[in-house]
Amino acid sequence: MRAVSQVVASLSRVPGVVAAMVVGASDGLIIEASQIVGYAPGATDTRRPTAALAAYLYSKVNRASDAARLGTPAFMRLEAEKGHICVVGASDVVLVTIVAPDANLGRVRLDMMNAAKDNR
Amino acid sequence: MTNPTVAEAWVAAPLKRLMEDARLISGVLLYPSGRAVGQFGFSNAADVMSICALTSAINASARELGRQLDGKPFYEMHHAGAERQVFMARAAAGAQEFLFVGVFDRESSLGVVEIYFSEFQKALEKLLPENQAVQVRPSDDFEGELNRSLDALFGPIGKK
Repeated sequence: MRAVSQVVASLSRVPGVVAAMVVGASDGLIIEASQIVGYAPGATDTRRPTAALAAYLYSKVNRASDAARLGTPAFMRLEAEKGHICVVGASDVVLVTIVAPDANLGRVRLDMMNAAKDNR
Repeated sequence: MTNPTVAEAWVAAPLKRLMEDARLISGVLLYPSGRAVGQFGFSNAADVMSICALTSAINASARELGRQLDGKPFYEMHHAGAERQVFMARAAAGAQEFLFVGVFDRESSLGVVEIYFSEFQKALEKLLPENQAVQVRPSDDFEGELNRSLDALFGPIGKK
């Protein structure tokens, strides 16, 4: 199993990833997080609320998927006006990335899935 | 989910929002002295009375423990039970301090409760009436004060 710091470091190097985090699946607390790309000192740090709410949302998506008899969700992507939030479950943690709108989402998805597979 | 009952009207809206957003099952907002300010999820004054007394005592112990261990009081505590979890924290609005204790289950998470509690704290800060009396110390009439706050929340005992 790769260390969480390695997972965060490798995901944060993927082009277009603004921030990468490993978050507790049940409590939504950050275990490890990268710096935010382009973060200005004094600006609001969005990682904590994003991590908590993304983990919460993923748990609900899990239930919806289960209710629809589709099994465990493999990958969740939330498309917003100014970018994306991607989430992948990996055992007791979820991997969360904040991604720029013009990022290569295929690459982000592949790297997150591989990182999750290594942590299962 | 029932609406919060409050002894001070200005806390009703932020308390309701916290309850709904953080998906809390029950919660009590109180002064550090043990006097209840608002509650939701309880139908019995005796339960709220016990929670206020216990929360006040736990806060005093935790505050001192924090001072001894870390040189400053702890701000929040979390207890994860098998089914339900308890979140306890201090909230400051101006010079006035409040304590909050809330219960949640798997419908929420500690991270989510923390996020909405920080918003709740900001709302208290913004809405605190200017003429609010600062009560940082327990009054000499702890029991009478507690009973009066419970009367405000549940109505006078024996008159229902």
